[in-house]
Amino acid sequence: MHIPDAFIPLWQSAIYWIVALIFIALALRWAKNELSEDKIPLIAVLAAGIFAIQAFNLPVAMGTSGHLVGGALAAIVLGSPYAAVFILTLVLIIQGIIFGDGGITTMGVNILNMGVIGGFVGYYGYTGLKSAGANIYLSAGIAAWCACFVASLAAAVEMAVAGTFPLVPGLIAMGTYHAAIGIIEGIITGAIIYFLVTSRPDLLAEEVQQPSAGGVSA
Amino acid sequence: MIDNKTFMIAGLVIAIIIGGLAVFLASGDPDGLESTALFVQGDKTLTGPSPEDGDPEAIGAGTFEYEAPLPDYSTGEEGGKAGEILAVFAGIVIMFILGFGATKLVASKKTT
Repeated sequence: MHIPDAFIPLWQSAIYWIVALIFIALALRWAKNELSEDKIPLIAVLAAGIFAIQAFNLPVAMGTSGHLVGGALAAIVLGSPYAAVFILTLVLIIQGIIFGDGGITTMGVNILNMGVIGGFVGYYGYTGLKSAGANIYLSAGIAAWCACFVASLAAAVEMAVAGTFPLVPGLIAMGTYHAAIGIIEGIITGAIIYFLVTSRPDLLAEEVQQPSAGGVSA
Repeated sequence: MIDNKTFMIAGLVIAIIIGGLAVFLASGDPDGLESTALFVQGDKTLTGPSPEDGDPEAIGAGTFEYEAPLPDYSTGEEGGKAGEILAVFAGIVIMFILGFGATKLVASKKTT
């Protein structure tokens, strides 16, 4: 879902950058107020792990591949959509500047899609499903699927505004491919949360610490 | 429950294993955005295979050019698989240090 430079006119990229910078500022404020030094191991591992998994494209049929984005994962385990903005911004800066994955001018829109939309849809999808009584891993998996799917539709709309993709075919194709890629997002997000709950539940946000079948105490 | 040091080492090792496997096992098919670009350009059907020589970025206006030092997670064509492993390994270590450092920096400015 990394949009390259060529896909969006500069003036539109600048607008997305401004919006992204507002969310980055909010994420930094969240980090300053909410992050304590005991979260350092989790964030360092998440940043490295999300980068590694993003390099691993898995086939999803239809001549297409996809990988975990990780916004929902970061938001759920750290208990805030701003955690996704914080971590995905770091990942996208390195991917764009060093590896040419995602553009420089389009880094703002990529932060917006994967960090902001991924984080907000993932976090609120998770808390909503969990409060409706769903199991935490299932809630996380479905929320992560939604985060991937909604972000891809947002990207399709941005591509239509840019004049790069026609709106309806763009929405159909982006939606179809990311409905499949979202399954990867959902399964890996659920699995990683399971491993984190098993290995270091104390590092996780309260929303993920509730007793489940495994009996993890808050 | 494992301690912080073990957690970080285990996390980093798992990330490096995933990154290393990605070099050899990752799918070469275009991602969702690139497949969509090929589809709207008429180079591929919605559910059909992607052409080997398709250029998803051909649809872009190309208003800005940037040469990344390690393009596409590699050290260039002559670097081969070893170059790709090196690039992914470097990226993982950089991300770990950046995640660690950025969190330490903002957490140390905690107002409470």
